[in-house]
Amino acid sequence: MIELKNLSKSYAISKEQTSEALRGIDLKIEEGELVILKGPSGSGKSTILSLIAALSKPTSGDVLVDGKNISKLSDDFAALYRGKNIGFVFQKYNLLANLSVAQNITLPLIPLNPPLHELEAELESVMQMFHIEHKKDVMVSKLSGGEQQRVAIARACINDPKIILADEPTANLDKTLSLHFIEILKELKALNKTIIVATHDPLFFGLDFVDREIEIADGALV
Amino acid sequence: MLLHPEVLAILLVNTLFFLFALIAFVLSVRIVLFYNADESTSLQYKLQKEGYLASTIIKFIFILKIPLFLFFVFTLDSLSNLITGAMCAAGVVDATVYGNYLFVLKILNLYLFAFWLMLHYRESKREVPRYTKEKYIFFLLLFILFMIEVAVEFLMFDAIELDKMVDCCGTLYSSTSASYISTLFHINTPLLLGLFYANGVLLLLFYRLKNRYFFALASALFFVSALLSLIAFFGTYIYELPTHHCPFCFLQKEYYYVGYLLYALLFTSTFYGVASTFTDEKRGMQYSLLYALIYMFIVSAYVLSYYFKTGVWL
Repeated sequence: MIELKNLSKSYAISKEQTSEALRGIDLKIEEGELVILKGPSGSGKSTILSLIAALSKPTSGDVLVDGKNISKLSDDFAALYRGKNIGFVFQKYNLLANLSVAQNITLPLIPLNPPLHELEAELESVMQMFHIEHKKDVMVSKLSGGEQQRVAIARACINDPKIILADEPTANLDKTLSLHFIEILKELKALNKTIIVATHDPLFFGLDFVDREIEIADGALV
Repeated sequence: MLLHPEVLAILLVNTLFFLFALIAFVLSVRIVLFYNADESTSLQYKLQKEGYLASTIIKFIFILKIPLFLFFVFTLDSLSNLITGAMCAAGVVDATVYGNYLFVLKILNLYLFAFWLMLHYRESKREVPRYTKEKYIFFLLLFILFMIEVAVEFLMFDAIELDKMVDCCGTLYSSTSASYISTLFHINTPLLLGLFYANGVLLLLFYRLKNRYFFALASALFFVSALLSLIAFFGTYIYELPTHHCPFCFLQKEYYYVGYLLYALLFTSTFYGVASTFTDEKRGMQYSLLYALIYMFIVSAYVLSYYFKTGVWL
């Protein structure tokens, strides 16, 4: 379903210097798989996620999702692809502090302009799934770290994406909340979502419901 | 004439355009030579980014070219106060051998830039752009025309001599003029008007039939018939003078700058009309028809209001 072909990505540090974040990655991830990308900070995990999400373009190589080369998509179509296929949980959640829980969660659907009753139904459904319905109208700045994370996951799931990408999702959480997130992952896996989690949190290693653990070091698969 | 403030402003903006267009030109050459949509090398991704930069520059030039064209016409008009014999922009255009060519080239380039941008817009609406190379080959041709325009503009302003007597528009656009323009005034007026209004009906008809190719053709013909009838017939009602046929004087304050509105409507209508060939969206035809109808309404209103005021036709 997801195929990375000879994928490289480098960032310009200065006019003369570039930093190679990824070097010739070849990887296939099947539909419904839960994959843990592990490796130290700066190893290239987040870069892989951003390329799969079409948030950035590779320096060379291809990202194929369902056979479609998404690294060649124009900006408009990349946004459309993200809106339809991707749910992204960011490390710092990237919630809008001045909006309520409901407003944050429904943000990905706004450009699609769905009928109000559909929007409400989707909102209720994901809020129940992640147990935050009682905080519907609360501003996210008033929420705890765990609640904010659940809002971020609900936002990632409201468009019913096929692929869920999570970038260091437990970096700001204590152990109890991290374990709770792992339970959520299990539920999402049961829904046959393709899930890729980039983390260096040992809590994610050796879990029985995880299909694969892939180690990255220095921009290459180990 | 080069140091006249308004001319200087035009030349400075042209210099900026030249520098930016040169960047877009270099990027376009690279894209034309090396772009291959089927490859995923670092060069291809780099060229894709360079394409964004080139298209942004071209958009920037086009967006500034529209007001600059109006400013150019305004400048010609204001220069007429300095040139002996000139009464409006027509005299200034005719003051050098470059004037008429420059005018035609400027209009042509505006259309070509607009068509380039339309093609670019259509390409950006494709999931995977297919005509990237062709689009930039088109720009290379456009760049050459644009550079000729910049050079001719410089030559024209440089060649204007203040102490040289030029013809005024009354002489240039009269039936007794020695130029090819005089033949225009020998065309039968009812025939010209018939063509103009029949063209309007054709636009309406092809819009109703949703035939974009015939609509584009009718639109191009409408441009010609509208321009000819404006000079030969409708202009006289704007001036309320049967012998005055100048296509520039109604750009002046005395006529409430109505010429700017008329030309803007005519050019925009033609652009959308001809552009409808390239797209199956109905919106372009709608805009074209709307602007053409507003144009027809305004020029017809001048004739009718004159008749109602005076009880006679010119």
